[in-house]
Amino acid sequence: MINFTFDGKAYQAQAGDTLAAALLRNGIGLVGRSFKYHRPRGIMTAGVEEPNALVTVGEGGRTEPNTRATDVFVYEGLVARSQNRWPSLSLDFGAILGLAAPIFSAGFYYKTFFGSAKRWMFYEYFIRKAAGLGDAPSEADPDHYSQRAAFCDVLVVGAGPAGLQAALEAAEAGKRVILVEQDSILGPSLIRDPQKLDAAWIEAIAARIRAAGGRILTRTTASGYWEHDLVTLTQRISEPGQVPADSVAQRLWHVRAGQVILATGSIERPMAFAHNDRPGVMLSQAVRTYVQRFGVTPGKRVVIATNNDDAYKTAHALQDAGAEIVAIIDARPAPAGADNGFPVHNDAVPLSTKGARHCLKSVSAQVGGVTKSWDADLLAVSGGFTPVVHLHMQAGGTLDWNEAAQAFVPAKSRQNVTTIGGAANPDPVFTVTPASNPKKSFIDFQNDVTLADVDLAWAEGYRSVEHLKRYTTLGMATDQGKLSNMAALGRLAEKQGVAIPEAGLTTFRPPYTPVTMGLFAGSGAKDGGAHIRRLALYDVHAAKNPIWQPLGYWFRPRAYPANGETMQQSSRREARTVRTSVGMTDVSTLAKFEISGPDAAAFLETVCATTVNKLAVGRGRYTFMLREDGFVFDDGTVWRLDENRYLLTSSTGGADRMATLLSYVRQYLCPQLRVSAVNVQEHYAGIAVAGPQAKAALTALIGEEPPRHMSTVPATIAGVPVIVLAASYSGERAFEIYVEASHATPVWAACETEVSAHGGCLFGMDAMDFLRIEKGHLVVGTEVDGRLTPQDLGLDKMLNKAGGFIGASGLSRTAFSEPGRRQLVGLEAIEGTIAEGAMLITREGETPQGHVTAAGIRVMEGGSIALGQLEGGFERHGEELIATSPTRGQKARIRVVQPHFYDSAGERYRD
Amino acid sequence: MTDVTITALPAPPLHVFEIWSEAGAVAKRFATATGFDLPIMGRSGGSDTLRLIRYEPTVWLVEGDASALTDVLGKDGALTAIGGGIVRVRLSGKGWRALLMEGGVFDAESASFASGCSAATIIDHVAVRLHVVSEDTCDAYVPLSYSTALMEFWHTAAETLTA
Repeated sequence: MINFTFDGKAYQAQAGDTLAAALLRNGIGLVGRSFKYHRPRGIMTAGVEEPNALVTVGEGGRTEPNTRATDVFVYEGLVARSQNRWPSLSLDFGAILGLAAPIFSAGFYYKTFFGSAKRWMFYEYFIRKAAGLGDAPSEADPDHYSQRAAFCDVLVVGAGPAGLQAALEAAEAGKRVILVEQDSILGPSLIRDPQKLDAAWIEAIAARIRAAGGRILTRTTASGYWEHDLVTLTQRISEPGQVPADSVAQRLWHVRAGQVILATGSIERPMAFAHNDRPGVMLSQAVRTYVQRFGVTPGKRVVIATNNDDAYKTAHALQDAGAEIVAIIDARPAPAGADNGFPVHNDAVPLSTKGARHCLKSVSAQVGGVTKSWDADLLAVSGGFTPVVHLHMQAGGTLDWNEAAQAFVPAKSRQNVTTIGGAANPDPVFTVTPASNPKKSFIDFQNDVTLADVDLAWAEGYRSVEHLKRYTTLGMATDQGKLSNMAALGRLAEKQGVAIPEAGLTTFRPPYTPVTMGLFAGSGAKDGGAHIRRLALYDVHAAKNPIWQPLGYWFRPRAYPANGETMQQSSRREARTVRTSVGMTDVSTLAKFEISGPDAAAFLETVCATTVNKLAVGRGRYTFMLREDGFVFDDGTVWRLDENRYLLTSSTGGADRMATLLSYVRQYLCPQLRVSAVNVQEHYAGIAVAGPQAKAALTALIGEEPPRHMSTVPATIAGVPVIVLAASYSGERAFEIYVEASHATPVWAACETEVSAHGGCLFGMDAMDFLRIEKGHLVVGTEVDGRLTPQDLGLDKMLNKAGGFIGASGLSRTAFSEPGRRQLVGLEAIEGTIAEGAMLITREGETPQGHVTAAGIRVMEGGSIALGQLEGGFERHGEELIATSPTRGQKARIRVVQPHFYDSAGERYRD
Repeated sequence: MTDVTITALPAPPLHVFEIWSEAGAVAKRFATATGFDLPIMGRSGGSDTLRLIRYEPTVWLVEGDASALTDVLGKDGALTAIGGGIVRVRLSGKGWRALLMEGGVFDAESASFASGCSAATIIDHVAVRLHVVSEDTCDAYVPLSYSTALMEFWHTAAETLTA
């Protein structure tokens, strides 16, 4: 026996029980409360389509709300709780809402909660309180989720008799086969209906599939069918709320299949009649499943309502289990087949039920125009069968209408998918028209949608099934209309006076059943979905205990606080040290490309909007790149290392984008060029040394006069070959040292020793930002945000006048020379501190005319300064504005100035 | 646990060998200089001293002593060092194929991905190159910045995978 609790009370289950089976085994009929009216609900089905028995399982971070009791297998220590009730499941004060059901009709929210934004803020509190069923866990999920790829010739979805046979044939034909089954066992329908094919047959078939190399996955749901026959599988390795044996709770499979065979079967339909949602009303096949598979008989006095032959199997199963069949209400006008000994009533449809919160007491029906009633504790209903066509439709397949089965069946698909078994050939049924009170006849149990709601939506003008769905909330939430869609379509068609296929059909989208969010994040769930990129010098930095800052996927030191400094104090000290002596920082993350070949300059002049071919060997220059539409998208430097060899640097954040562009230019735009463009971003670690003492430090490091500004030389530091580039981002005389990353540590150590000897220190990203803002240098992603042209940024004088670069033709667009474009400006505070991201306005309440892209300080003197984009900014120098940031609660009076606050003549670069 | 051992190998010199013209002549010069042919797409050639692995139509990854290759290329191509940014990770044991399916998009379980084959693919969002050394060994060439994280990922995955 297995111990579990439900609402704090201890129970026992048998091995293999679902929670639903275990609850029924323990005589529990009331399992949940409905969403809107808090009506008492029991267990209706035995599968993933369960709309009523939604519970919360697990504790702490493993808590999983809205879990279908029919889709969780009991494990030792399982903790389950009912939902949407207060103070208890039996005594739920929320049930009072049921009395107000007439006013909570379809479209209640739309008709009630309107008006000003202020009123909405009032409504929102109550709506949020009422929304949802279970509560999401507040603690972090401690488990891991895995994502795995698989390839196969044939993927078979569904391990019923048809699926097992298809998988066997494919596997024994030498194909790579994957067979998936969402249940914990193979052939669950054969266990429910053991005839010629029994458990031994299933076992034998599975053994042969495995022997032929096939892979069989149970507790695995094909949750989505995507383009190119890619199917995603959701595999439960542990049950909801259960501590996984090896820490992985679930696995998401990406299966690329040559062919997909869908053997997904059908879902039994309920019938619409008054109080059809009461505990004790169940689907017929579900009843049979509990009896045959779990050995649980959900009732002793049973009424069966049907429009097909299948329900008679349930009658036999119940009778064999000792239950009494008090009536079979068969909608068909005449008996089907020979006398079976049951009290069958033809031309009969259910009208209503009576009962208490926990159980059913009686069933009434209309039999040939006469109302009859029976005492019963279980009503097994079979309204026909809906083929599971979700995956077929997700694959782009169309549906045909099967008149005999009153169901949609799979037709063509543009993908290589075939549907077999019950999903392709559902059993015929007799059409039943609901005959009882539509206000209490539920069709969507999860959302408390009744026939009357469909009628009301129709009366209010909702004709499209898609509109009907959204207006009534029918077919939403965890069951996604698996039980309700056909009933709603039938009613809509009846209203329209058309056949069901003409009434339309809603779209089936993935996932087929709910998927845990952690599964989509996979192994990266704990790191925001991606691995962290570490600097080559990560350990060197880590030993200094810096404050780290994420930059894309990278982590870089933001500041190196010393002696109890705050980050702000540290950053300011570091920046001042650069201005007064020398500092060094890690710039390894910059994008770097080595461009080689006789046509390297021509290649670079296609990519870059500045000239390149006039560079002498050993010289470099600032450059920038445009998109094809003429907007600036990145910037950097280009260096001629040798006659036919260049080094191109560009922004860290744009590195992957730049690599893609270079590949595109190399392979598509200029395949004729004799050039090789290689991404060496990670090959070289980069160290920047900046400040008035930088030259002295470099001289000591390389043993010779360092190169002049925008020149480069090869050198050796600590015995390691390096490339020294004289380039400045800080506004001071500065150098970038590039060294093969695997040899960077001794070079860094040598630089640090020399920098320290010259009174310098390390500086992080914050200090770098202060320095570059003061100097007026751009950052891609802030000033360069994809909306500004070279003219807007004041870069137009550097454009290659010969043209020929990407984006050159885009620059001639007239819109680029119209007045009022946003342009780069400097901003200095007159009063207050400028906030990053603040809006630039002339007066309170006016439309913003620009925004602050980056805010900093005057490094030596103090005072708030910033860079920003401002409409017509070049012509507005001297104008006073307001920089306001409501989200930060900051406001400053500012003056528009040139975007260079420090050494605008560039004299500090030069010796 | 899957039968696989994950080890970072010592860094050999790695270069990109790219041909932009006279591919046939370069191939002849290459064969003469090295004693083996330039490998075809998706394959490797050579030995531990000098191995070339072809990942792109005009590009090979060179592992080992590339000193003779500059002359082989002449004016028809370029040799560019990239070894500082790549970590070679050896996956040994029968479970390497199953391990590479974790977070992968490439069919490493296919029997046709055999000894001497290569592939450029994505593992858990990281671009890696694969080279099958033998039926029980596959080398992965991983970007330095991701190498720590990816090796941790593989170690964790190996502990939880059942091949």
